[in-house]
Amino acid sequence: MEGRTPAAGTWSDGTLPANVVLGARTLVTGAGAFRRFMSTGDRALSIGSDCTMDGVQFALGAEARVSIGDYCYFTNVVLLSELELRIGSYVVIGWNTTITDTDFHPIAPAERVRDAVACSPLGKGHPRPPIARRAVIIEDDVWIGPNAAIMKGVRVGAGAFIEPGAILTADVPPLARVAGNPARVVGTVR
Amino acid sequence: MTPDRRIPGDWFDQPVPGNVEIHDEAYVETAFSFLLYRSQLAAGVRIGRGASVYLGTMFDVGRQGRVSCGAFTLVNGARIVCDAEILIEDYVLISWNVVLMDTYRVPADPALRRRAVIAAASGEPRRVDGHVEARPIHIKRAAWIGFDACVLPGVTIGEGAIVGARSVVTEDVEPFTIVVGNPARMVRRIEPGETTP
Repeated sequence: MEGRTPAAGTWSDGTLPANVVLGARTLVTGAGAFRRFMSTGDRALSIGSDCTMDGVQFALGAEARVSIGDYCYFTNVVLLSELELRIGSYVVIGWNTTITDTDFHPIAPAERVRDAVACSPLGKGHPRPPIARRAVIIEDDVWIGPNAAIMKGVRVGAGAFIEPGAILTADVPPLARVAGNPARVVGTVR
Repeated sequence: MTPDRRIPGDWFDQPVPGNVEIHDEAYVETAFSFLLYRSQLAAGVRIGRGASVYLGTMFDVGRQGRVSCGAFTLVNGARIVCDAEILIEDYVLISWNVVLMDTYRVPADPALRRRAVIAAASGEPRRVDGHVEARPIHIKRAAWIGFDACVLPGVTIGEGAIVGARSVVTEDVEPFTIVVGNPARMVRRIEPGETTP
């Protein structure tokens, strides 16, 4: 109707952080949804319309940006971001799957020792060393099964089918079916 | 259970669904395990004598789904996704965060899947439900499934077999064998009469 915008989406268990934008009819459920939401950016999390985010944890670090398209359906997914997660429309992600754009800690042991101190209760005044982070991109119409993991820098092509328990460390072509740890292409979806 | 089908001391203030059969000598920690349960069959879930079902176990059972947990089974927080039949025989041990799924619930073809996803968004409650054929899972007597493992549609796990932690079981498992990995592969047989050294 002219002059009327549809009501924005809702979170069933509290007041949304100010920099979270939900499209019409999008539902977020679960008391833990924003317990680890630390991002301070403008529109740090934007979710399109008609999405169902059931028990999803939005664990966004200070600089993280996460965007999710329309008609997505996630069940108890853990989204861990320090940079960027870009997720398209019609994406379904199963129970207990983790998606992350960061390693959380440095690879080099000496840097990791410094990081352990910086993260500790005695870490005041100790800056953390640089930590690898690369955006994760999940294109439209992707299905990701339960107990899977998508690691940093991975791009999942449109329509791909990620089998339960798959651990993705490399890009997935569109319409591929992948499985295993590490995940391999095992076929196509058609 | 109390006469109104509540579990004594349960933090979740709902009854156990009427078509769930729990043996008097079984233990079910909370009725929350039936939050996603919607079977319309006479006994959509059956839990046998001496069986225990702990917190974290979710019976995500569709309208025509049927799950049976045999005597002395231990289900310690599994996600049970069932649209046909998941049969768990006596003495089976199932660890935490295990996924047993007899269906993918959505088509592999993305164009068809998109339709299912759009339909789910207007449902009440919203569910991506029953768009593909389900294939029963059968877990035979005294099998043991390690934590975070997934068992996929159509799989039979043989008597006494062990599935290692985080394995993904895509094919049948022979009786008295140990399988591990993703995808799961047999690593050895369990000899008859084998005992803990």
